[in-house]
Formats: sequence, C-alpha cells, structure tokens
Amino acid sequence: MTSIRDAINGIDLRRFRFWLQLFFFVLLVYGGYLAINLGQYLPTFSCGFNNEGRGGVCYLLPLQHQLAMSWGTLFGWAGLMVLQGFLFFSLWFFVLNKGWCGYVCPLGTIQDWITGLRQRLGVRYSRYTEGQFRRLSLIKYLLLALMFLIPLGIGGALLPHDMGTPFCDICPGRMIIPMFTGDFSQLTIDFSTKTTMVMTALGMLVTGLFLAGAFFKKRFFCFFCPMSALHYLLSKPALLKLKKDGNKCTRCGDCYRVCDMEIREIADDVKEPRIMQDDCILCLKCVAHCPEQGALKAAFAGITVFESTERGFIKRMTKGHIDEHNTH
Amino acid sequence: MNTTPTEAKAPPYNRSRQAREAETLLDRIEDDFPDNPEAMRYFYALFRRVYCQGEPVKHQGTLVGTTCIHAPEELIYAFGATPVRLCNGSYHYDQIGADFMPAKSCPLVKATLGSLHAKAAVPNTAALDLIVNPTTCDQKTKASAMMEAMGYQVHDLELPPAKESEEARLYWQRAVRRLALRLRELTGRKLTRKNLRQAMARTARAQAAFRTLHQLRKTAPALFLGKDAFLVTNAYFFDDLDRWTNAVEKLNTELLQRQQAGFQAAQKRAPRILFTGSPPIFPNLKLPLLIEEAGGVVVADETCSANRMLYDMTAVDEWLLNDMVDGLADRYLKPCTCPIFTRNDDRQRRLLQLAADFNVDGVVYQAFAGCQVYEMEYRSIADILAAQGIPMLYVETDYSPDDMGQLSTRIEAFLESIKTRKRNK
Repeated sequence: MTSIRDAINGIDLRRFRFWLQLFFFVLLVYGGYLAINLGQYLPTFSCGFNNEGRGGVCYLLPLQHQLAMSWGTLFGWAGLMVLQGFLFFSLWFFVLNKGWCGYVCPLGTIQDWITGLRQRLGVRYSRYTEGQFRRLSLIKYLLLALMFLIPLGIGGALLPHDMGTPFCDICPGRMIIPMFTGDFSQLTIDFSTKTTMVMTALGMLVTGLFLAGAFFKKRFFCFFCPMSALHYLLSKPALLKLKKDGNKCTRCGDCYRVCDMEIREIADDVKEPRIMQDDCILCLKCVAHCPEQGALKAAFAGITVFESTERGFIKRMTKGHIDEHNTH
Repeated sequence: MNTTPTEAKAPPYNRSRQAREAETLLDRIEDDFPDNPEAMRYFYALFRRVYCQGEPVKHQGTLVGTTCIHAPEELIYAFGATPVRLCNGSYHYDQIGADFMPAKSCPLVKATLGSLHAKAAVPNTAALDLIVNPTTCDQKTKASAMMEAMGYQVHDLELPPAKESEEARLYWQRAVRRLALRLRELTGRKLTRKNLRQAMARTARAQAAFRTLHQLRKTAPALFLGKDAFLVTNAYFFDDLDRWTNAVEKLNTELLQRQQAGFQAAQKRAPRILFTGSPPIFPNLKLPLLIEEAGGVVVADETCSANRMLYDMTAVDEWLLNDMVDGLADRYLKPCTCPIFTRNDDRQRRLLQLAADFNVDGVVYQAFAGCQVYEMEYRSIADILAAQGIPMLYVETDYSPDDMGQLSTRIEAFLESIKTRKRNK
C-alpha cells in the first residue's frame, strides 16, 4: 500500500497530465464518431458546434437556449426543465470539481499545447502584474452575469432575438474546436443582421486574442472564463478537493511560481485549509512542486489521492534537470 | 587586488592564534565524544587542513565571496565561478574586526571584517575577486563600504526589507538579475540555460543530501550529534560542492546503517534540543558543544549556517533562463526566516513545526550581543513557544570564551529542568 502511495506521489505529473488531457480531448472532440454521447450538461467546453465529432455538449449552450425562452414558459413548468439541467450539470461538476478545467476542457488543453509550443521555441512567458490580475479576475463574473441576463432579456423581449447564445458567439471554442474535425464554417462573420454581425465579429476578435494570448500567457483564456466562475460558485460540495496544511507550509512560494493561474494564495495563505481559489484549474501542479511532506494534497471524497512529498519533489526536479540536458 | 592585506606573506599557520583556536575546538569535537560516525573523518580532516594548516579554499575559476545566504550560489557556479561564504566564527578575527564596528555590534560581522582585513586569514580566501554582499541587516549593509575600503570589489545585492508583497518579490528578482550581469562582467562568460541548469542540478543534489541528513535526525534516540551536523553544514561554506555532497551522502549511508542497527548516539532520556537564533559558525560552536557536553542533543536547528542555508529548494516550471533565474530569486527570498524582515510569522511557524516533527524537548535561542534583530525577536518567539509548553533558554553571548563557565551552568540547569519535566510526565 505504501509503495503504491509512493509511486503515485512520485508521479511525473507533466506526462500524466499530457496523456490524460489528450485522452479527454479525443473523447470530447472526436467521441461522436465512436457514437459516444455524454449528454448536454457537461461542465466543460465540449463544444456543441462541433456537430459530428462532439462526445457531449458544453452545458452553457443549452443553458443559454433555455434561458432565452419566453418568460411565460420559463417561469412556468419549463422552469423545472432548466433546474433539472442545472442539477445534471452540477452532478457532473461535483465529481471532478475544477479538475474539469485542468484535465478535461479541450480549450484548456489547446492552450497547454500552445504553451508547449512556446516553450519549445524558447520564448519566455509573460505574467500579469498583481493589480492587473485582481482586475482581470473579475471579468469572468461579468461575463457570467451577462450570459444569464442577455438570454433572459431576449426571453422578456427586451433584447433582439438574434443575440441567441451570446457567450457562444464570442467563445473561441466555437471557432476553434470544430476546426479539429475539419469544420471551418464557424470561422466566418455572419452578416444576416446587425447584431449577428457584431457578435460574430467580436467572436473572431476573441479567437484571435485567444491564440495570441495563449502563446505568451499560460492559460490566457481561463482568467476570463465564465464557466470557471460558475464552477467556483458551486465548488464547496465537490468531491475532489485541494487542501493545504498551513503548519507544514514554509511559504517558499514554489507552488505559486509554477501556478499557471498566478494564484498567490496557494503559497501565502496558511490559515485556510480549503485553498482552492476561483481561478484555480485544479491541475495539481502546485502539489507536484511542493517540497513539504503533506503540505498540499488532493483528496477525493475525503481520501487523499495525491499529496506533496519531499521525495516526489526531488524526483521531479531532478528529472527536470536531466530533461533539459537531453533536449538541448 | 594587490592592496589587500590578505595577500601578505603568511606566518606558519600551526603557530598562529587562529589555528590554535580552531585546533582546540576540533580536538574537543573529536575527542570528547565517543561514537563519532566514521564518515565524519572527512569533515574533521577538512577543517584541520583548512583552519589549522591554512590550505587555500579549493576553487575553480573566479572566487566569489558571499556574506549571507541570500546570494544565489547557483548563479555563481553557472558563470564558472566558485562561491565561498565569508561569514566568520573566529574570536581572533572578531577582535581584529572590532576596529571597524562600534563596540556593541555583532561578532559575526566583526569577525568577517576582521578576517578580510587580517593577513593570511583562514579560511584562506586570498584569491577573492568579488564579494557579493546582500543588504540584509544594518551591520552587513554598512560593512560593504568598509570591505571596499580594504580594496575588495563589492557588489551590493539589494534585498528588500519585507518579503510578503509582490513588489518586494519583483524588486528582488531584478536585484538577482543585476547580480547575473555583474557576474557576466566579472567572468566574461555568458549565462546559458545549460550552465545554469547544471549549476542548479549540483546545488539541488547537495540540498537533497542535506534533507536526507536532516530527516535522519528525527530518529530518537539520536543517530549522531548536532555538533557534527553543524560541522557538516559549516563545511558547505568553503568546501568543493560535489566533494561535500559525496561526503554527506556517505554519512547518510552510515547513519542509515546505524538506524537499522538500532544504534544510539545519545541516551534515551537525553533532552532533544532545537537550536535557533544567531548562527553557530566554526570555530564558534561554543553553545552547541556545551549543550551536548552536558548530555543534551541538538536534533534540529533554524539558523542561517545550517538549515536555513540548505533546506529550501528551487522549483522551476519552464526550463527557460527567465523562469530559472526568477525561481532562484524566489527560493532565496520567500522561504527565508531571517529576522531582518518586517514580520516573523514564518520563523515562528517554522520553529513550531520543527519542534513537533523532531520531537523536541526544548529550544535554545542564541543571540549574539549586538545582533539586534534576533534580540528583538526574542519576545515573540518566547511567547509562541510558551503557548505550546515548549521550554526555551535564551542565551545572549558573543565569540569570547569568557562566559563559558556561566553558560555551562545555565545550560546544565536548563537540561536538568527538561529531564525533570520528562520524568514527571
């Protein structure tokens, strides 16, 4: 038992993540070809516009559709249907918590691949300043609010109907993910009405920003993701948890250094055991880069599945020293 | 460098005062205790060569002196240079250095200045090309100009006075990058991913060896004594890095064998002491030696001549130059528990965790007379330890041997009280 535990804690997380992410990417982007359908309540960007390949549908698409029903319908019996959808979404989410972002989300995986490309090219990353970070962090809540309010406005006939699914219009996933199955049709500006023209043009712009941003900034888009905001609001009862034992923490900042999302609390907060922050993608890199025995751990339903160990840390760092030597 | 007095012709070391001071201490360390680990012979011999016979410090390339743990050694190694830590523990040099500093100032700073000023100092660092002086405490900060006046080249490595804020972190990262530029000027070499990676791998290996040694000290009863542990970490100041690591790995293997054999280097009842405060630096191992001669055993420490220097390790996410250098900068700032920083919660938490992990019975807090920051933190540390029911002995001392009698009485009484507590438990 201890040897299994040691093996897990000594895992090469980078490699493990790469393969797991690839697996989920194939499942969600090409699963449709294998007749896989995980339903339409997935708490991750398994884009519904990827008609043929999708192995399930991102919940934000049906959610916006449902919210855009006329108010009479929405606040009647149909409301139960919305609640039911939300329940399924929540159940999916509770299993992995934000692990959906760090391990499953195809858009996240694409960003990690772009980061890998940058690293290979030897281009350095950029970071936000602390002030920028605090401000940018709020955008995702704004997007989340708009994602609820605009469809509701449509349903109440306050906004034009052609705003349809406003977030999908500007989501880079809608343009990028279908391309992986050879569908480039989303990469256009829809000139049918003024609104669609503005929204799809905005979408093009965001997609451009996404690609450029992800090249220089790790997980660039995740800072703005309304799904991430929605996740955080539901994260308390989730089964997979990131925990911190502040007494064991030396505040060396190693976890903060490697954090793609620049979350400072992971290193500096020694009081709160439930350390997961709203921007967290639960990639567990912090756990892998913590040299203190048991200071950080990932637990599933109360059972520790992966924790920081001195040996694991040294093993992974030594591997880093050697890998660098071999590739250059 | 012709102007430095260290270049003057050396008298025979074995007859000099500093050599005798070192020799007396080494004899005590070796002969007063049974059961010294076999692998410690390497370190005893090393200290005799360097401190008693004046063997020059082994180095490749440029020799760069450092005056604090904050100078990132990996950077120095990456430029093909060799760092040597100049912090000095000799009473002899303390007296010489007294000319430079006010009477009530830290013996460590005085001794460092004294050794730099002295003719034919030990350790023999005559070949120094640059001194990297982190602006830590006031006394070290001011020492910079004095070292320059002696004819040394000094680089002030600007350390922020607080470490919590992001501003401080970025300021420090810039300071470290500036050091890299200075080293490039000095050595005429370039910093590359390859040479920095190699340097970091060497230091990381040494740190891993240190950590193993550190963890072995959790064993109760103790496998070896704290005086030997201090000697090992002291050797890190000037020894060849890889040679040092090999010797520690050998020591670890021997201690592991001792562990399996159920060997006891101290009595079962021997009070387990956590040592904190001003750093014991050879030959000033006065306090740890007194503790262990009186039947205690130092099982862990929180000082910048041992644990604080070697324990914390660097993490790198992307093996690109920028991330490696920033990672190094973080490692030398963020986890540091030096009392010069505005707050000391990290030091408090570190002490409590060490006390719990190492099953500590009591804490000995050494404050060098004139080391104000440690003197000022005394109260807060005393309070948190008292709240946990851990007894602490606060000792204000310096490098002079005059207070040995008085100290040994106090230490014996402290250890005796711990033993009584343990019996009554």
